[in-house]
Amino acid sequence: MSLFVAEGLVKRFGGLLATDHVDLAVERGEIHALIGPNGAGKSTLVNLISGLLPADAGRIVLDGVDLATLAPHQRVRHGLARCFQITSVFRNDSVRDNLLLAVQAQAGSSFRCLRRREAETALADAALALADRTGLGAVLDRPAGVLPHGMQKRLDLALALAAAPRLLLLDEPMAGMGPEDSVQMIELIGRLRSETAILLIEHDMDAVFRLADRISVLVYGRVLTSGDAAHVRGHAEVQSVYLGTEAHA
Amino acid sequence: MNRPVFAPSRVASAAAEHPRQPFAVRFPGFVRRLPWLVLAILALFPLLAPALGLEYYVGFVRRLLIVAIAASSLNFILGYGGMAALGHAGFIGVGAYTVVALVEAGFSSAWLAWGGALVVAGLSAALIGAVSLRTRGVYFIMITLAFAQMLYYLAVSLRTYGGDDGYGLYTSLEMGAWLDGVHPDVFYWVVLAIAALVFAGFSRVAHSRYGHALRGIRDNETRMVALGYPVYRLKLAGFVAAGAVAGLAGGLLASHNAFVSPAIMHWTQSALLLVMVMLGGLGRRWGAPLGVALWLVLEEALKMHTDYWHWPLGVLLLLAVFHAPQGLAALFERREANR
Repeated sequence: MSLFVAEGLVKRFGGLLATDHVDLAVERGEIHALIGPNGAGKSTLVNLISGLLPADAGRIVLDGVDLATLAPHQRVRHGLARCFQITSVFRNDSVRDNLLLAVQAQAGSSFRCLRRREAETALADAALALADRTGLGAVLDRPAGVLPHGMQKRLDLALALAAAPRLLLLDEPMAGMGPEDSVQMIELIGRLRSETAILLIEHDMDAVFRLADRISVLVYGRVLTSGDAAHVRGHAEVQSVYLGTEAHA
Repeated sequence: MNRPVFAPSRVASAAAEHPRQPFAVRFPGFVRRLPWLVLAILALFPLLAPALGLEYYVGFVRRLLIVAIAASSLNFILGYGGMAALGHAGFIGVGAYTVVALVEAGFSSAWLAWGGALVVAGLSAALIGAVSLRTRGVYFIMITLAFAQMLYYLAVSLRTYGGDDGYGLYTSLEMGAWLDGVHPDVFYWVVLAIAALVFAGFSRVAHSRYGHALRGIRDNETRMVALGYPVYRLKLAGFVAAGAVAGLAGGLLASHNAFVSPAIMHWTQSALLLVMVMLGGLGRRWGAPLGVALWLVLEEALKMHTDYWHWPLGVLLLLAVFHAPQGLAALFERREANR
């Protein structure tokens, strides 16, 4: 059985069918890339799976648990974490405080209101470990908002990793990055393969072909085809709608 | 000679080099002790006032402390939680009318009355918050305002409790044999103790897990959801706590004035509370008491000289917006970040 299955997902915005009966599966240990032209509904799909948008129909099953009726924060408890296309960190807080907030969400109750958080060494240790894993150890005390873009994207990823997800949704982790930052991010994502399955949305084809075990192509809210890199590269319809029409020339 | 980093001489020389640095950086020791100094002065004030000819102001300071309790609770949800509630006076009113109802029913214990004010206002906040917190932004402002107005008109319609004319509490509530009669100003010290407890409580909570989570929600709610936080329940808990404390302030205000009328919960009172908190410093530890003190002291001082005291207060607000947009408390804080 697949780790993650989405079945018949539908989302309408008025008359627009943004997600048109999408079926998608992610296996354990797999990096599954989702590609498609702008407006294909990739980010909508991530929002449906993570629960930030309610789906109009369909099932979302992770490890045998149907998440479709659960609130987004409950889905995180079941092992589903996500990153954001537009970097979403706590800009005014230090990197350390960002990580502490992420770690705190997973360790005990956040309704505790008398003990000072600084006194909780277990949280501080977990935050440090997370910083080391993601290469943020050197910038712990800098405000997140002043970090270079590549670092902010990495922090965004670190925040998601704090949940120790079984499925990680990455919405364009390489967006707006220079070549060096991209290389580092590709390495980091590659290392995560042993910890969590990943559904990767990305426009950087280089990254997709290097990382993905399987690629699904989304066009007009529908999955056009799904398969390994060679299959997708050779697919005539994919070439025409996505990679360009030179193939026909 | 080895000196610790914050040794006086180094701080003094740093102050000379950077005269524009915040007050707290220039005089850290003084600023750290200032709260205790203020508390000591406040505690001794009723004893010193007669000698200074300031007896009248004991009552004024008592009112100031009660308003500061209410403002602290608003600062907690608005400044730390990002919940722009425009109906906070509603909870003050619920607290005050709870006292009235208990007195009318024949109870005379102050602790029961104030405790009742706290609990009933907390329950009201749970009901109102459960609905209001499903909305965001302007809708939240409007819906909290709407609920407060409903409470206001409910109070107007309550004939048993005087309706529009209000209700006089002719005998003061009993605080118990061991307190009543000790000193005529014992109520002042009770209010001071409650204000100090409330203030210390909110300060403590601000640095706890819960306080950090609340600020996270204020700064980036979507991310907090994605991190797995039960955002709605966290906000509701803060809203209920703030409503309960505002209700307690309302109960104390009823005792202070020995009179309760619907005017106490008019929406302009909610707005005034907002202005005071913003003047003092939104989301800052000292924001609420500083804002309340500045506003009420100026109001009192200006009233002595002119009937048109709203004018200079308006000018003051404009000055504050342009020169201290972070509020008065920002001048006293060591760090820029609102902690």
